[in-house]
Amino acid sequence: MSVNRLQQLKGHILPQNKITAMAGSASPLTTHVLNTATGVPGANMTLSLHRQDPLTSAWSLITTGITNADGRCPGLITTQMFTSGVYRLHFDTAQYWQSMEETCFYPYVEIVFTINDPGKKHHVPLLLSRFSYSTYRGS
Amino acid sequence: MMESCTLTTHVMNSVDGVPAARVALSLHRLEPPLMVWSLLSLGTTDEDGRCSGLAAREELGPGTYKLRFETGSYWESRGQTSLHPYVEVVFSISDHHQRIHLPLLMTRFSYSIYTGS
Repeated sequence: MSVNRLQQLKGHILPQNKITAMAGSASPLTTHVLNTATGVPGANMTLSLHRQDPLTSAWSLITTGITNADGRCPGLITTQMFTSGVYRLHFDTAQYWQSMEETCFYPYVEIVFTINDPGKKHHVPLLLSRFSYSTYRGS
Repeated sequence: MMESCTLTTHVMNSVDGVPAARVALSLHRLEPPLMVWSLLSLGTTDEDGRCSGLAAREELGPGTYKLRFETGSYWESRGQTSLHPYVEVVFSISDHHQRIHLPLLMTRFSYSIYTGS
């Protein structure tokens, strides 16, 4: 049997993989919170995504969410809504540490970023400890 | 009388491995009860990427503060684009803080903040 035919059959008999893949790629913008102090994903952290109006500079809320056990939050935005512009991801970091009975130097973290190529996927991770954090353009 | 807290920062360009000079920045405080940001001071980093006098005229008592770095303008002045138009760091000063050093390490597509000594 040819490789192509095998791949076609695999597509037929494992439909849940396709659905999972579609769901995973539903949001062109993703995030991932990592607790660098303990070396685990930052789970159960509330966050929100906002977009800035280019004319008024006012921020509007797109979605709120909470990270899952893997520190991720699927479904941040749809492909249709993800247009060029300035966005902001807000992470409730102090609340997160408080739930573990710790303080945090940063009451919240806001990462503001510019999207010029909304056709591409954008990954905005947050690596966080009680006294430091970092972010980068991921893939 | 409460002792004042000193605040210093240091901005580093991690791409070129040099201090980030001439980065404009501003310090703000969240003012109760309305919870609006008030501007405390403006500054620009020197050739060594440092900015002194951020809190020279103000006592930094306990509260919530924001340090804003005009990083987008910095990269623009070098003829480059960047992912983040600016960086704002919101932090809490508590009673026992005497000296806060908040360095910023950045590239065109990333940044990291930590509080050190």
